[in-house]
Amino acid sequence: MPKQDFQPEPAVAAGLDALMAELYQKSKGEELGLTRQQFDSVLGEIARKYLTADAAHHDLRGLYMSLRAEELVLARACAAGHERAWEIFLTRYREKLYDIAGYITKESSTARELADSIYAELYGTTTRDGQRTSKLASYTGRGSLEGWLRTVMVQEHVNRYRRQRRLVSLDEETEEGSQFAIPATEAAIAVDPRVEAATDEVLVALPPEDRYVLASYFLDERTLAEIARTLGVHESTISRKVDKLAKSLRKQILAALGRRGMSRRQAQEALEIDVRDLRVNIRSRLAQEKGGGAFSKKKAEAPADGS
Amino acid sequence: MATVEDHPDPNLLGALVEKSLAQGEQLRVLEHLSRCASCREIVSLTAAQPGIAGAVSLAPARAGWLSWPVLRWGAAVACVVVVGVAVTIRQEHESRQIDATIAEQKAELEKQISPPSGPPAKAAEQTIAANPTVTPQTARAMKPGKNNNAAATSPVEMSDAGVGSRLAEVPGRAKAAESQDALSVKAAGNIAQVETSTAAVVPLVSTNLPPRWTLSSDGTLQRSRDSGRSWQTIQVADNTIFRALAANRLEIWVGGAAGALFHSSDAGQLWTQVRPVANGEALADDIIGVEFADTLHGKVTTSVQEIWITADAGQTWQKQ
Repeated sequence: MPKQDFQPEPAVAAGLDALMAELYQKSKGEELGLTRQQFDSVLGEIARKYLTADAAHHDLRGLYMSLRAEELVLARACAAGHERAWEIFLTRYREKLYDIAGYITKESSTARELADSIYAELYGTTTRDGQRTSKLASYTGRGSLEGWLRTVMVQEHVNRYRRQRRLVSLDEETEEGSQFAIPATEAAIAVDPRVEAATDEVLVALPPEDRYVLASYFLDERTLAEIARTLGVHESTISRKVDKLAKSLRKQILAALGRRGMSRRQAQEALEIDVRDLRVNIRSRLAQEKGGGAFSKKKAEAPADGS
Repeated sequence: MATVEDHPDPNLLGALVEKSLAQGEQLRVLEHLSRCASCREIVSLTAAQPGIAGAVSLAPARAGWLSWPVLRWGAAVACVVVVGVAVTIRQEHESRQIDATIAEQKAELEKQISPPSGPPAKAAEQTIAANPTVTPQTARAMKPGKNNNAAATSPVEMSDAGVGSRLAEVPGRAKAAESQDALSVKAAGNIAQVETSTAAVVPLVSTNLPPRWTLSSDGTLQRSRDSGRSWQTIQVADNTIFRALAANRLEIWVGGAAGALFHSSDAGQLWTQVRPVANGEALADDIIGVEFADTLHGKVTTSVQEIWITADAGQTWQKQ
């Protein structure tokens, strides 16, 4: 997300004071050595990170009220090296770290290595300008601390996998037979530029969630259940959505081709009639990252760690 | 192509999976995800982990034949009937279990406080009558044959100076201690504790049989009666942070800070505070793990990596 400066007006800041005081009290920051001033500073930092300079007063209030203040303070106190905070953190999350790592890696030694690595980053072994920096300082309380830990561990695991893929030996590749594999490139089909333009037009008009579902289903080859879990819905909902989208897209693209001067028959021939052929177009139009295939499918090395 | 600066940070990706983002922000993140395979990968792997809040299947599948209104309403009525019958049968079953537990506790109480020659059936009622602090709810809870659902949510106070003065402590031997009339009951709010040397029995929270249990990140016990779609916080003890949970059918064990260990043998109807003692030493460290292979054999792990083992449902303990 783009980072922009956030400068709350004095009157707005004064109006928020009561809310911030309430959050501070709920967060038990005093018990963990975080002063009210430091707490306000953390909230200001979060507001600058997620809100634009012209954000309305209610946006700021909404953001603050959505924060997990208690977990935020715990994380910041840990990052500051507060002993009691670390005791609480370890009691709550130590076992979970290893459980999460085990679930991600499916292998005990790799899981321990991943969990130990993350733990070191959380504790802050790296020094910058002579100071210990903890990864916990980057937690902003937007979701639960446990959810953040899960995401951070997944991200680290994916990055490790990609680094290791670059170092895979020729022998290993030979054993896998990958050097003989047929490149998974799609057949070069000469597509009428009007079809591309129409497809682009229709896809751009789709809601972000629909585009996410299409990309996950057709590009990443995720299962309906996997997509459903990320959106918190039942897989039958995703199934219906995919079917509906495929049919709707076809109709809309045909209409868009008609607006570009094609007869209906020409448009249908351009789409080769079968709805499934539409996927070729969707794939090519949705794909924004060259070679950005799914990590779990071991398709390709995606560019760096992003997030 | 998305640039590095465009990627949402793990805070936003984690919050998206937990469905805790505002609608506008969620759309912005989804917009990015639709263009970024790397972030889709991270979100998908994060959501695939068990225990993610918000990633719960909710919507039922649509079946074609149910689109006929008569069949749809018929199915709904059938569901209501089936659920009603199931709930009735289950409540009767619970009621019998609770009655048995109460009768057992009452018999034990009577054995401890009534004179040997007195009629045992009246002993508990005499205790209630002699104690003005006992509420009507408590009296119902102690009366066999009645469902005590209302009792535990009301303030309960049970005390008997005569009994309390006979408190005896035999470390690591709960049954022996019980036979020596070691009983002292204290209560505050909806919490009550019966202290013996190693175990205590007291009604705390009374609810229907829950199908699922979990611990929240802030250390409270939670129960779901609808297969995990919604969770209710269960108040077991004030100011106690629970970090370990073992649930096996009706047997629920929760452990937490400062050696707090509670047990329910009737799926949360009645809670017992268990105080493990081994070789004269009481468990006082934070409990970070509780495992029970069956109703009798269990293991408790503490924050200092001590392991306490019981082979008799928490009556006696050994430390490793």
